[in-house]
Amino acid sequence: MRDALFDNDPDTVPEDGPPRFSILVCIDGSEESERGLKYAVKIGQGNDADITLLYVRPVDKGMKYGVNLARQHMLDWGIELPGMRALKAARDQLFELGFLDGDWSEEETRKRVYGDPIGDIMKTYTDKNDTHIALKLMVAPTIASGILDECELNHYDLTILAMHGEGGKNVRGKIKWGTTRTVVTEHHGTVLLARDIEENHGHLICVNDEKSIEAARQDAVLASRCQCPVYLLSVAETDEDLPAAKDAITKARAAIEGAGVEVVDAWTDVGNARDIIIERGKDFSVIVMADSSVKGFRRFFQSSVAYYVLQHAFNSVMIIR
Amino acid sequence: MRLRGTRNMRGLGFFLKEKRWLIIAFIVGVLLYLAPTPDGLTDASKTVLVISVVAVILFVTEPVPLPAVAFMIVIAQVFLLQGVDSKQVAQSLMSDSVVFIMGSLMLAVAIVKQKLDKRLAYLIVRMTGTRTLNISVGIALVSGVMASVIGEHTVAAMMLPVAIILITLTSDDPKKVRGLAAVLLFSIAYGCSIAGIGTPSGGARNAIMIGYWKEFYYVEGDASTAKYLVDYLAWIKVAYPVFLAQLPFVVGILFLTFKPEYKHLTRSVVKLRTMVEKEGPMKSSDWVAIMVFFATLLGWIFFSSELGLGIIALMGAVAYMLLGLVRWEDLNSGVNWGVVWLYAAAISLGIQMKDTGAALWVADSFLGVLPAGMDEGIGLLASVSVLTTLVTNTMSNGAAVAVLGPISLNMAATAGESPLVLGFITAISSAFAYLTVIGTPACTIVYASGYLKTTDFLKVGWKMVIMSTIVLLAFAAFYWPAIGL
Repeated sequence: MRDALFDNDPDTVPEDGPPRFSILVCIDGSEESERGLKYAVKIGQGNDADITLLYVRPVDKGMKYGVNLARQHMLDWGIELPGMRALKAARDQLFELGFLDGDWSEEETRKRVYGDPIGDIMKTYTDKNDTHIALKLMVAPTIASGILDECELNHYDLTILAMHGEGGKNVRGKIKWGTTRTVVTEHHGTVLLARDIEENHGHLICVNDEKSIEAARQDAVLASRCQCPVYLLSVAETDEDLPAAKDAITKARAAIEGAGVEVVDAWTDVGNARDIIIERGKDFSVIVMADSSVKGFRRFFQSSVAYYVLQHAFNSVMIIR
Repeated sequence: MRLRGTRNMRGLGFFLKEKRWLIIAFIVGVLLYLAPTPDGLTDASKTVLVISVVAVILFVTEPVPLPAVAFMIVIAQVFLLQGVDSKQVAQSLMSDSVVFIMGSLMLAVAIVKQKLDKRLAYLIVRMTGTRTLNISVGIALVSGVMASVIGEHTVAAMMLPVAIILITLTSDDPKKVRGLAAVLLFSIAYGCSIAGIGTPSGGARNAIMIGYWKEFYYVEGDASTAKYLVDYLAWIKVAYPVFLAQLPFVVGILFLTFKPEYKHLTRSVVKLRTMVEKEGPMKSSDWVAIMVFFATLLGWIFFSSELGLGIIALMGAVAYMLLGLVRWEDLNSGVNWGVVWLYAAAISLGIQMKDTGAALWVADSFLGVLPAGMDEGIGLLASVSVLTTLVTNTMSNGAAVAVLGPISLNMAATAGESPLVLGFITAISSAFAYLTVIGTPACTIVYASGYLKTTDFLKVGWKMVIMSTIVLLAFAAFYWPAIGL
């Protein structure tokens, strides 16, 4: 099972039906990750979605000898490792929310990695509708590399990360801002940074160019999964840019409504895009932004609005690629 | 296959970010190497100091595995120090102290393999009853007594499940047992920390200091220098009472700081007893394992001055293997050989610091900046203790002693103090790494339980530092002179 998951070509489409919507939720035991989990359930409702809960444990290095020994002793005594405790708490929450239907089967696999004697642990729960919940306690050189490993090896439609760090405001959680930044910078897919996520306030989709219009369409489809109302915002830097901003709104509205999703309202503002998006975004569950296709550190410079908003917004931010 | 994901992160930008401290350390090293040599230093002593500064930056920031730092120290000595060849450096890597560290680590693995942790749990709850205060005292005492003779990481690893079981059987909700968890877990960590200085086998730092005394001051055939051959019993006489005196204060500080939510743990103790009693009576192999360990301990006490601490440690490890109590494969996978290399290289560098005069220069410079009254007597002891405490909270205590040992011993010579006294102050103060998670292996282990926050270490650690420093200085002022130190 484990090898199958890691060794299959992630792009392979299963022969027995359409691809299932898969969501990765990074768990760190914080309240933010719990809220992110609830949002994942809302998006994943129905029978066509699977949720993977991931807790990454950094490889012990330096003078941490003895920690592995302690972990072995904990397992010998039947004590769960801290990461697995957090994952199981999240799993129980999923059970309570009724994500799995009726009875389910359970499977556990382990794999030694990075010379860690305990290695990766994965528990999979599958119900009669073939809906999966996977719990992955993974060992990696860093938390960020673990999350990116998982995202690259197993394609996910959405990755949800609890937000934390000195870089952000109004955040708690245990995954640090540096980790969050690395994941968002290097990730090839859509990432939701869950920060004090409150449901039912809708998605504020920010548009300005062709790429963001396609992202708007993608998010609208995602928002429709959880019946979240969709709003549009375009910000022109000066009055001269206003026609282009209005044009972006018109195109985005057409694309979204073409996908069968209603746009509740739309605004075109003039001024500093970063501040306006953060201020307007306060009233919504999620601020949605597109990211350019450039890679690595260049993303920071070329998509500075997205990353500024990501870092300074008061609520959740989704970066769509 | 597994590394496919991390491939994303292998660009130049990521490499530079991850290795920034390695680059900074090298830049600092190059600048210092090219800078004019200060008065009082020779080129060789300056080079040794440059290597030490770079090594300390790497010890603290860990941009590369610590064994790699050890190898870099070795290589740097051969390439940068004139008149030092590879044979000399290789010889300086292996001493009785290093063999002792290696043997102690093997013994620790052999003891862990006997799975005596449930017996220990039973001993504690039988001894202490159900009061939280008594259980905390019991855990700290048992952890301490054991950590005074075998490596603290082994003891902390064995004791951790006992504390976690007591915590989880009291409440499944970690928020409801925050205080209790902190008290029990810190009883393990700080019990180990204060006890690790009790005997030479309690920690690598002790063996390193014993090695320095012998290397720096002992002259074969000169009876007046025989006191610098500090054996197992001599160390215990000086240091063990310091551990015992701190024990009640530790528990008091923990209770005052964290205020456990439950005064009695009756329900969880009963459940723990039931779990442990399922193990049945002690097996003959358990008794043999205990006897081998005590035989090793007696060997250290009575024969270490003739045979050396290292050989006796090796004899203990070999006995476990010959009796089939542990396999070589277990020792090989259980011992962190990188740690052995790290200490070997650090000791080798320490010897170069002494031989080139670098340690003396740093010692004189340090004494020069101390205010009046702090450069002699109890003031100097306090200064060295504070300096060691600061350093040991940022790196492993063994590395701290390896780096600071030659300096403090030279300070003793300059200030007219006893090298033995300042050596003990340095070695014992290196155990005051209470402030950070990475301070000691025991702290790292209890933190790995998931019940503690990093801020908890600061919250209680500063109180521990003050208490331990006062106790140590009180012993240095009153007890050590009384026993002729």
